[in-house]
Parts: sequence; C-alpha cells; structure tokens
Amino acid sequence: MPDTQVRRRVSWAPLLLVTLLAGVAASYLVEARGVSLSPQNLLLLQPTAWLVLLLWAVLALGYLRTPVLPQEGPRESWADVSRVVAMVAAFAGFILALEPLGYDIAIWGFTLIALIIGGERNKVALVVFPAAFGLAMIYGFRLLVPYPFPTSLL
Amino acid sequence: MIDFPAFGSAVAMLAGSPSAWIWVVPGLLIGLVFGALPGISVSMAMALVLPASLYMDFLPAIIFLTSVYTGAGFGGSIPAVLINIPGTSSAVATTFDGYPMARKGQHSEALGAALFASCIGVLISYIVLFVLVQPLAEIVLRIGPYEMAAIGIWGLVLLGSIGGSSVAKGLFAAAIGVLCGTVGMNTAGYMRGDMGISWLLDGVPTIPAMVGLLAASQLFALVNAKFIVEAEEHRTISLRRILDGGVMVLRHPVTLLRGTAIGIFVGAVPGIGSSIANLISYGETRRASKDPDSFGKGNPEGVIAAESANSSSEGGSMATMLALGIPGGGATAILLAAFAMHNVIGGPRFMEQNRDIVYAIILSNFAQAFVLLLVGGAFVFVASTIVRLPLRYLIPSVLVMSTMGAFAIEGSIAGPLTLLVFAVLGWLMSRYGFPVAAVVVGLLLGKLIETEMLRAWQLAGGDAMYVFEHPVAVGIIVVMFVSLGLSVRRDLRRRAALKAQAVVVSAD
Repeated sequence: MPDTQVRRRVSWAPLLLVTLLAGVAASYLVEARGVSLSPQNLLLLQPTAWLVLLLWAVLALGYLRTPVLPQEGPRESWADVSRVVAMVAAFAGFILALEPLGYDIAIWGFTLIALIIGGERNKVALVVFPAAFGLAMIYGFRLLVPYPFPTSLL
Repeated sequence: MIDFPAFGSAVAMLAGSPSAWIWVVPGLLIGLVFGALPGISVSMAMALVLPASLYMDFLPAIIFLTSVYTGAGFGGSIPAVLINIPGTSSAVATTFDGYPMARKGQHSEALGAALFASCIGVLISYIVLFVLVQPLAEIVLRIGPYEMAAIGIWGLVLLGSIGGSSVAKGLFAAAIGVLCGTVGMNTAGYMRGDMGISWLLDGVPTIPAMVGLLAASQLFALVNAKFIVEAEEHRTISLRRILDGGVMVLRHPVTLLRGTAIGIFVGAVPGIGSSIANLISYGETRRASKDPDSFGKGNPEGVIAAESANSSSEGGSMATMLALGIPGGGATAILLAAFAMHNVIGGPRFMEQNRDIVYAIILSNFAQAFVLLLVGGAFVFVASTIVRLPLRYLIPSVLVMSTMGAFAIEGSIAGPLTLLVFAVLGWLMSRYGFPVAAVVVGLLLGKLIETEMLRAWQLAGGDAMYVFEHPVAVGIIVVMFVSLGLSVRRDLRRRAALKAQAVVVSAD
C-alpha cells in the first residue's frame, strides 16, 4: 500500500519546544564564537551545537508530518492539563517569592496552594499541614544548613 | 598477590579491637539517612561526620567513615526508587527503572534488588581490592586524558537513547545536556553562556539541575494521580517482596558481575567515580539485553546494573586511594583527610609499610556489606511507607524539600532557581517524549568530557591524529560507534513497524 495514504498532521507543541531549544543552542554558539574562535573555547561546544541544529532539522521535519495513530488510552482532559499547569505556575511563584517574602511565608503559601490544587478540601488539614510543615522545614534546615536564609516570621 | 603474614596480622588487629566494630552500625545508619536526603552527597555526609572521627583511634575512624561511605552509597537509591529523586549523583541510573517499578507497585522488589546488588557489589569489589590492589593501581596510572574523555563520551553515547521514542530525540536531549554542562568558564579560561550571572561562571549547578530534571518534572506529571502506586493492594510493604528483589539479583548474575566490573574499573579512575559507573553499567546492560525496550519501564535488570556499579566503585576508588594516595572522588578525598588528621599519609609507602592496616580496612568492609543487608533492609522497610502517602501531600512536600536541598548545596538562591528552570524544562521534554535522563547524563559528563578533551588537545599540540597513539581510547571509541550503529538500526526497524501500523489504520 503506498505511503501517501498515511494521514499526517503538524505537532505544534513539540515543534515549538525543539525550535526554542535549538534557538537557545544557536544563540549560545554565536555568543561563544564572539568570546573566541580558539579551538580551546569551541572544542566540544561548537560540534555539539551543530549537532543540536542538525537534529532539530530532523525532528522538526518529523513534527511537520506526524502520522496519525489510533488513540492509546484516555485523552487528558482540559481540567487535568490546567491542574498540572497551575502546579508548575505555583512552583515558579514559590521559587520567585523565596527571597522577597522569606522562606517561611513562601513555603507556607506554596504548600497551601499545592494542597488545594491537589484536591484537598479538609479545612483542618489546610490550616494545620502548611503551618506545621513550614515550621519543620525552617527549623530542620537551620540545623543542617550552615548558610542563613531570609525569613519573615520565624 | 596476597601478603599472608599481613593478612594474619589484620585479622588479629580486628579481633582484638572491639572499638573498631561498634562504629559500623552507626556509620551505616548515618550514611543511609544522609544518602537518602536529596542534595546531601556521600562526600557531604562524610564531611559532616569527619570531625567526630578525630577523637577515635586511626582504625576505628577509618572503619566509621567507610561505613558512612557504604551506607550513603545505598541510601541514595531509596528516594531514587520511591520518588524518582536520586539521593546522590551515583543513583541517577537507579531512577530509570527503579521508579517505574515503584509506580507498578513493585517498590519492595526494586528496593530489595537495589539492596542486594549494592551489598554484593561492595563485597565483590573489596574481594577484588584484596587480591588485586597493586596491579589495579598500576593500570589506573596509565589512564590519561584521552582514555578519560573516551570513557565520558562512551557513557554519553550509550545513554543517548534512554527511554526516548527515538535515537534522534535521545541524542538531541543528550546534546542539550552537554551544552548546559559547558556553560561557564572552562579550564582554558574562556567564559561562555554565563549571561552575566556571576554564579554561572562555575557552571550550571549540577545537583539542583538533576533534581529538577528527574524529580520535580515527574512530580508535575503526577498532579492528577492520587498515590505513587495507584492500585491499593500494591501499596503494602513486605519483607518477603524485599527478599524477592534479592532473588531477582541472584537470577541475573551476568548483569550483576558486569555492573560490578564496570564499577570497580571506572571507580578506580580518579575524577570519574561512581556517578558515571552506574550510567555506563546501565547503558551496557540495556545494549546487551535481548529486550532493550523494556528498560526505562520497570526492568529490574536496570536497577541491578546501576546499583552493582555504583556500590562496587567504592572498592575501585579505595584501590586508587590506598595504593597511590590519589582520591578518586570527594568521598575518598575525605578519607585521605582523615588519614592526615591521624598523621598518616596515604599512598605507595603506606601500602608497603602498613599492609596489615590496609587488609584490616578491607576485611571490615566485607563485614560492612553483610551488616548493610540487615540495617539497610530495616531502613528500606521504614522508608517504603512513603508509597502510602497521598500525592497531594507528597508533591508539595518533596518539591519544598528539593528546593531547600538545592539551597543547601549552593548556599544561595542559585540552587532553587536552577531547580525551577530545569524542572520546567524536564516537564516539557518528558511530556513530548524526550528522555530527560539523557539531559542529566549530558550535564554530568559535558564538563568532564570538555576538560579531558582540552587536556588531550594541549598534550597533542592540536594534532588530532595523536589519539591513535592511545589504543585504549581508540578501542573505547570503536565500541561506542558500534553501539550507536546498533541503536540506530533498532530505531529504524521500530519506525518501519510504526509506519506499517499507520498505513493499516489509514486503510481501515
């Protein structure tokens, strides 16, 4: 049976991801070549960056002509995807809030939000767990870690 | 090769020194706890207890520290199996199949396999050390930058296609990892990719990046699940199933011995050590397997390969340290520091003049391997309760602990920021079928390969043909190309099968 009968589509999300990563690799190569063209600077970096660009071409071509296959297993719902995205966003917010808000408030806030995203609706658990866990983390890591970390309340 | 009078003297020394033995169990427990904490490496655990050993006699102090070393070597595999976080960089390859086993409800078997493979690996490596300490050290001295670069590239290429759906994706992920590993100032003094951020001058912080790629990204993917192990009947913790894991190890003697041999050899090479031994062993086992596609999906052979290699590398690095006085990695550097604290200088002269002490250290490690079976078994039993915790509590707890661990390593916000960037990268890459483990391997090996290639380049005065004067390095590169060729062939066959399936669907 001829190949032309295979149904194909464009996989936009992975195409965007590889293009973004290849773009970062290309800009890294340009920046490194701007530092020096000496082989001692580019010995590993340049061939690896070229390899990334070559593989991008191979992968991008594949994503432009992805064969349509039968669905394996149930498809992710929008609610499932949005919960994952919300968790990623909450984690990003937590990391970025560590220094401005202090590690104690950031840990408490992130734990509370992550519990809600995870589906916890028990009010006692929502009040007790983030506070107890935050306390344990701050005092535990103060014992273990020799570096000071900013806190607002503890 | 064995000095029998010195051996007799070592036995007498250990038999007459109960103080040397009482530190074995505390040392193993400390190692297990610290090894299981993400962000606390084997060398950090040993550094934390080093001051305590100052008040002990020389032999008990060394036995205590080697117990911590042995315990931490296995401890790293516990979070690797249960929550996909390698407790130490030596346990990276343990996550590849250990965690999928846990997700299938086989956490007890995976931990049992890891424990038995570790204990047997440690035992065999010390037997080899006992017999071959001197010749092994002489081989190590002949290994130069060409061979080290070749070993690094071998590890990278072997793992290029781990778990991914195609070789192209595996190589793409590995190359991205290598590029990340080259960021910052290289050994020739060139600064690249630091984006004006001062802490990137030392390169991308490896451990936070690794935890982000492997663990945080996986946790995001689990947000919609209730427990690590979905089926309630599989969440039980059973001693019998831990022992079943041990039986699995005995059923795969070739994997175990291959991993142990790789661990001893790679562990003996200074600067490489267990963090690469486990990856090479895993890659070789997958390549040699009749069913390579089952790796990364919960094949116990993957756990056995990784754990036998990372634990046996302890014996290898001890050979280099005892015979040459050269530390193979951070842990043996701390052991050398302990030697110095007791006014003992490691190296060939120590080996010649104090062979009885060397044998006593080796013999005590035989005992440690057996004690680890009991202590580690009990520890695993307690640690396994994690599979009973609901993920809505586990996910934020592990993410926060990983963040604090990342902070503990770097001492600044650099660690948490790196964790975030690589967690998001890892989540996106694994979502679209890229093997995140290959990025980790590239990141771990990128810096090492560049450093060794630079040294080789400088030694050869820029003449690339000079590599042909190093047959070992050429041999490793040939093996690497053969391995890559086999992977590409396998990939092409799979694509052909996929195409045929697509045609059938279209015709329907």
